[in-house]
Amino acid sequence: MIAMEKQIHTDVLVVGGGIAGIQSALDMADQGFKVIIVERQSSIGGQMIALSKVFPTLDCASCITTPKMSAAAHHPNIQLMVNTEVNQIETVGAGQRITVTRKATYVDPEKCIGCRLCEYACEIEYHDPFELGLGAIRAIAIPFTNAIPQKAVLNPDYCTTCGLCARACPTDAIDYAQEPQTFTVHAGTVIVASGFALNSLNVKPQYNAAQSKNVISPLTMERLLAPHAPYGRVLRPSDGKIPSSVAFVQCAGSRDETIGVPYCSRVCCMYAIKQAMLLSGALPMADITIYYMDIRAFGKGYEQFYQNARAMGINFVRGKVARIESAPNDDMLLHVELTEEAADPCRQQRHDLVVLAQGMLPQWNVSEHSSLQRGSDGFVASPDVTNPSATNLPGIFSAGTASGPKDIVDTITESGASAMAARRYLHQQKGSKNPDIPTDTAAVHLVQRGEGEIHDDQAVQAGL
Amino acid sequence: MNTINNSQHDHQEPRIGVYICRCGGNISDVVDVDRVAEVSRHIPGVVVAKVHTFCCSDPGQNTISQDIQAEKLDRVVVASCSPFLHELTFRGAVQRGGLNPYLYEHANIREQGSWAHKHDPAGATAKSIRMIAAAVGKLQYSTPLDQIRLPNHRKALVIGGGIAGMKVAADLAGRGIPVLLVESSGRLGGRLNQWNRVFPTDTPAGQLVTKLLAQLDANPLVEILLNCKVTAVKGFVGSFQVTIEGPLGPSGAMTSTQTTIGAIVMATGFRPYVPDDGEFLYRKDPGVITMPEFIDLMRGQQTGAGELVYKGRTIRSIAFLHCVGSRQIDGVHTPRADGKINTYCSRVCCTTTLQQALAAKERFPSLQVYDLHQDIRTYGRGHEDYYVRAGKAGVVFFRYHGDEIPRVELANGKHPGEPSLHITFKDYLTWGEELTLDVDMLVLAVGLMAGDIPDLINMFKLPVGEDRFIQEIHPKLRPVEISVNGVLLAGTVQGPMNIEETLNAAGAAAVKASAMFLKDVVELNPYVAQVDADLCQGSGSCVTQCEYDGAIAMVETQVNGKSVRQARVNPGLCVGCGACVAVCPTRAINLNGWRLDQYDAMVDGLTADIPAVAAATS
Ligand SMILES: Cc1cc2nc3c(=O)[nH]c(=O)nc-3n(C[C@H](O)[C@H](O)[C@H](O)COP(=O)(O)OP(=O)(O)OC[C@H]3O[C@@H](n4cnc5c(N)ncnc54)[C@H](O)[C@@H]3O)c2cc1C
Ligand SMILES: Cc1cc2nc3c(=O)[nH]c(=O)nc-3n(C[C@H](O)[C@H](O)[C@H](O)COP(=O)(O)OP(=O)(O)OC[C@H]3O[C@@H](n4cnc5c(N)ncnc54)[C@H](O)[C@@H]3O)c2cc1C
Ligand code: SF4
Ligand code: SF4
Repeated sequence: MIAMEKQIHTDVLVVGGGIAGIQSALDMADQGFKVIIVERQSSIGGQMIALSKVFPTLDCASCITTPKMSAAAHHPNIQLMVNTEVNQIETVGAGQRITVTRKATYVDPEKCIGCRLCEYACEIEYHDPFELGLGAIRAIAIPFTNAIPQKAVLNPDYCTTCGLCARACPTDAIDYAQEPQTFTVHAGTVIVASGFALNSLNVKPQYNAAQSKNVISPLTMERLLAPHAPYGRVLRPSDGKIPSSVAFVQCAGSRDETIGVPYCSRVCCMYAIKQAMLLSGALPMADITIYYMDIRAFGKGYEQFYQNARAMGINFVRGKVARIESAPNDDMLLHVELTEEAADPCRQQRHDLVVLAQGMLPQWNVSEHSSLQRGSDGFVASPDVTNPSATNLPGIFSAGTASGPKDIVDTITESGASAMAARRYLHQQKGSKNPDIPTDTAAVHLVQRGEGEIHDDQAVQAGL
Repeated sequence: MNTINNSQHDHQEPRIGVYICRCGGNISDVVDVDRVAEVSRHIPGVVVAKVHTFCCSDPGQNTISQDIQAEKLDRVVVASCSPFLHELTFRGAVQRGGLNPYLYEHANIREQGSWAHKHDPAGATAKSIRMIAAAVGKLQYSTPLDQIRLPNHRKALVIGGGIAGMKVAADLAGRGIPVLLVESSGRLGGRLNQWNRVFPTDTPAGQLVTKLLAQLDANPLVEILLNCKVTAVKGFVGSFQVTIEGPLGPSGAMTSTQTTIGAIVMATGFRPYVPDDGEFLYRKDPGVITMPEFIDLMRGQQTGAGELVYKGRTIRSIAFLHCVGSRQIDGVHTPRADGKINTYCSRVCCTTTLQQALAAKERFPSLQVYDLHQDIRTYGRGHEDYYVRAGKAGVVFFRYHGDEIPRVELANGKHPGEPSLHITFKDYLTWGEELTLDVDMLVLAVGLMAGDIPDLINMFKLPVGEDRFIQEIHPKLRPVEISVNGVLLAGTVQGPMNIEETLNAAGAAAVKASAMFLKDVVELNPYVAQVDADLCQGSGSCVTQCEYDGAIAMVETQVNGKSVRQARVNPGLCVGCGACVAVCPTRAINLNGWRLDQYDAMVDGLTADIPAVAAATS
C-alpha cells in the first residue's frame, strides 16, 4: 500500500473547499492555473452550504453557494479531492510538498454514478451530520441533496456489512475492503482556506447547555430555518413543540478572556438578527429577544438590516446573561443583568428555546501540520500589513476564516486577494529552475508529470 | 387567442426540455411543481418536463446535459429563480450537453411566482405554467447565437492612488500587466498620508505607503500620473479610449493625452464627514474638532511636555463622541443637501476612536478621557484589544441612544479664559440617567462619506447606492464588479472599509482584471440590436432615440449600386435596451435573442388557453 504512494503535480493546492477555498480556486483557475481543492468532507461548500439564508440580502444560501460549487466542479482547471485531509505542508525549494490522505469511503468514486440505489437499499439510519442530528441518514448515502460531487459514502461506524448496498449497486462500486490512500502533491503555491469551527456550547457551564436540548447552536438554528429544513418548520429539539419565546444570547463564546476567546467573532450579531427576522416570519406569534452587549452591524447595509429588525418588533435587550437554569416543561430561565433599566436591573426571563452565539475558532491548527505561524488568537498569522493574505512562509497564502472570523463578503474579497497574491508569487518564480514551479504560461497550461503519477483526468473521474 | 392542445410532434418540430426547480421548497412550498411538469408536457414542442430539488446543483445540471444527449433535445427551459442568479449556470449546463447556450430560456417562477403569490398557491401554479408556455413559445423562434468577440487591450487604468489604487497597480504590474495609475492630487497614498499610526498594528501609516510605493517604483510596467484627471471615456470593455488631462492646478499648462485601455479600476476612495457649522459646536468653539484634526494634533505631540496644549488652551479632559455623521435616524438628524441622511455605520470610527483614546491616555497619563458611544464596534482582528486596553488605562465609557443626541453647550471653565464644553446626555450604562460632562476638548469621530466624483459617475454611468457609494453587482457573490462591463471597484469608493479590507478588495479587483487579460479578446453577450439592411429606410429615428453614445449611427452604404444611408450598430457599445426597436418605422431593427417574433410568441404563450391551466386554478 505505502509503496504505491502517488505523486501529483499542480500549480496551486487549496486546503479546504469552503466558500473561501472555492473562490480562491476559481480566481486562480480563471487566470489559467491548475488547481486542486483538498476537502476533508465528502462535499465542497463548507459551512456556507449548510446556512439558511444569508445576511444582509436574505438570499437563500443554497441558491448562491451551489453555482459557485458547481462552477468549481466544472472548471477545466480545477480538480476536487474530497474525503481527503491535508496532513503536512513542507516547503521544498521554491515549491510546496503536501501530503494528503484520502479516507476510505468504501465506495469506488470512479464507479459510483450517484444513482442512490445503495442508499435506498440500506436499512440502517443514524443522525444526519449535515442536519446536525435533526434528521436521519442511511449508513451509505449521498451526503446531502446538493452535495458536490454526488458520490455515495459509507459510514463504517454504522454499517453492518449486510451486503444490501453492494447488491443494489448497478456498477459494483461498493468496496468493503477499501483502504485509506496517501498522496504527495507538488504545488507551486498553497492557499490555506481551512475555515472555522465553533467553540463548545458548554464553554460557559453557567449556561447549562449540557442539561437542556433546547439550548442550541446557531448552526442548528440555521438548519431549522433552511428552506429545505429537516422538519420543514421550526420545532424545538426536546419535544417538537413550536417555540413561542426564543432567546438569542450574544457573545456566549467570545469577548471573554476567561474562556480563551478575548476577540469578537464578528458574524454572530448579524446572524442572530438574521435568524430572528427569519423566525418572526416563520413564527409570527413568537416573542424573539436578542440579549447583547454591543450590536456590531458594521458592514455595507448591515446597520439598515439591524434597524429593520428593530422595526419588525424583535426585542433587543442590552444586558449580560449571567446564567441559564432549567425551568419546568423543558423551558429555560435566563438571569439577565440589564444595563438599560434602573428599576429592575436583574431580570429573570423564561424562554422555550435559547440560541447561544458560540465563538469562532480556527478549524485546523496549521502549526501542527506546517511551519506556518499563528496569531495569538490561533488563526493563521498575517505578518505583512500591505499584503493581508500573505503568511510567514513565501508561497503560502491564507483566505477566509482560516485567518480570523469573517462574513461571506469579506471572505470572498479576501479569497480574491489571496489568489492575486499567489498569482504574483508564481510570476516572480518564473524562470526559476525548480521543477515544482510551473511555467507562467497563462492560457496554455503545462503540468509537470513524473513517473507513477495519476493523470489529471483520471483523478477527476476518480472523484479525487 | 390560440388554443394549445395535445398535438402530435413530428421530427421537424423543436424538441424542448423543461426543468422545474423546487428550490429546496422556496418554490415547491407554494407552486405545485408536479402539476406544472404534468401540464408542461402538453405544451407543443415539449418532449421532457422534469422536477428537481435544486436544478442548479450538480445532479440537476447533469440531468439537463444528459437529457440533451439522450432525448435529443434542441432547446431547454429552466423554471426556477431569477435569471440574475442562474441564467449563466444553466447556459453552461446546456452548452455542456452540446447545444448552443442561447437555445435556452429562463422562467422565473420564484421571484415572480412562489414568492410573489405566497398566499395563492393555485394562482402561482397557473402563472408558472403560463410563464413556461411563454418561454417555450419564445424558444420556438430562437436561433443559435455567438458571443461577440472584441479585441482586448492589455493595459489597465487605475483611477485614484490611495492604498487601494496602489495595491491594484502593484498586483497587476506584479503579474505582468501594464498599468496606468492616475491620481488627482500631487502624491500617492490617499488618506493614509493624513494618519499617524494605524490600527490594528500601530504601524506608521507612512510605512505602508512607502512599501507599496517601492513596489510601484521597481516595476517598469507602472506609469504614474500625478495631478491628473480622467476627463473623458469612450469605447467599451477591452478597448476604452480614455482622455487624461493634467497636470492640474496652477503648476503648469494642461496637456491632454489619450490612451486605449482594456479594464478600469475605480479607487477614488472616500471623504471624511465634515460636520455642519455649529453641529456639536463644530467651528463655533475651537475645542470641538474632528477625528482627522485630532490625529493631526497628536502627530505634533510625540515628544515634549506632559501636557496637551491646543490653540493656547491646556487640555485636561477630552470626550470622544462616536457616530458623528453615521447611523443617522430619519426625523432625528438633519438631512444633507441631497435630502439624504447617513443611515449606515462607517465601520472604522469605533476602532480609530479607541486607538486614539488609548494613545492620548498613554501619552498624557493625567488626561481625563471619556468615550460616548452607541455600540462599540471593534469587530476585527486585534480591534477588541484596544477596547480592553482603553478600559484598563482608565478611559471612562458612556453609552447614548441614537435618537437622543448628546447636547453640547459652552460653559465657564474652572480656569479663567478657558471655557469648557458642557455635554448633556442620557447614559445607558447607568440605566438611562441624565448625566453632564465638562471637558476641554470634544473629538467628533466622524464617519466616511462617498467621494465627490460626479464627473466619473456620469462618464462611466456608475451605479450609485442609497448611501451614495458605488454599488457592486451582488454584495455577496460579486463584490468588486459593477453593472458596467470592464469597470471594477477597489476600496472605499464602494463603502467604508479599513486598510486591511481595502487591500483585500483591491486584490480581489486585481484578480478579476488579471483573469480578463488571460485572453486577447473579450467575449460579450450577443444581445445587441441588429439592423435588417433590406428593411432599413434610413429614417434615423433609432439614432435620435439611443441613449448610448456611438451605439448606433447612420452610415453611407451601397445597396444595388446606389448610395444609401442606413443605421449600423456598434456591438461593443450597444447595451441591448431596445429603445431603437420601438421607434423604427419599418421594423428594421431587432434585438438578437429578443426579436419581435419572439415577443409575439411569448404573448401567445402567456395568453394561450391551455385547458389544463384552468383545471389547475380551479
Ligand atoms: C451560524 C452561522 C451563521 C452564519 N450566517 C452568515 C450569513 O448569513 N452571512 C454571512 O455573510 N456569513 C455568515 N456566517 C459566516 C460564514 O459561515 C463564513 O463567513 C463562511 O462560511 C466562511 O467560509 P470559509 O471557507 O472560510 O470556511 P468553512 O466554511 O469553514 O470552510 C473550510 C473548509 O475547509 C475544510 N478543511 C479544514 N481543514 C482541512 C484539512 N486539513 N484538509 C482538508 N480540508 C480541510 C473544512 O472541512 C471546510 O469545508 C455564518 C456563520 C455561522 C456560524
Ligand atoms: C479618521 C480616520 C482614521 C482611520 N484610521 C485607520 C486606521 O488606523 N487603520 C485602518 O485600517 N484604517 C483606518 N482608516 C480607514 C482608511 O483611511 C481607509 O481604509 C483607506 O484610506 C482607504 O483607502 P482608499 O485607497 O480606498 O481611499 P483613499 O485613501 O481615500 O484614496 C483615494 C485616492 O483617490 C484619489 N482620487 C479621488 N478622486 C479622484 C479622481 N477623480 N481622479 C483621480 N484620483 C482621485 C484621492 O486623491 C486619493 O489619493 C481611517 C479612516 C478615518 C476616516
Ligand atoms: S459579533 Fe456580536 S455576538 Fe459576536 S462576539 Fe462580536 S459582539 Fe459578540
Ligand atoms: S464604527 Fe462605531 S462610531 Fe463608527 S459609525 Fe459604526 S458604531 Fe458609530
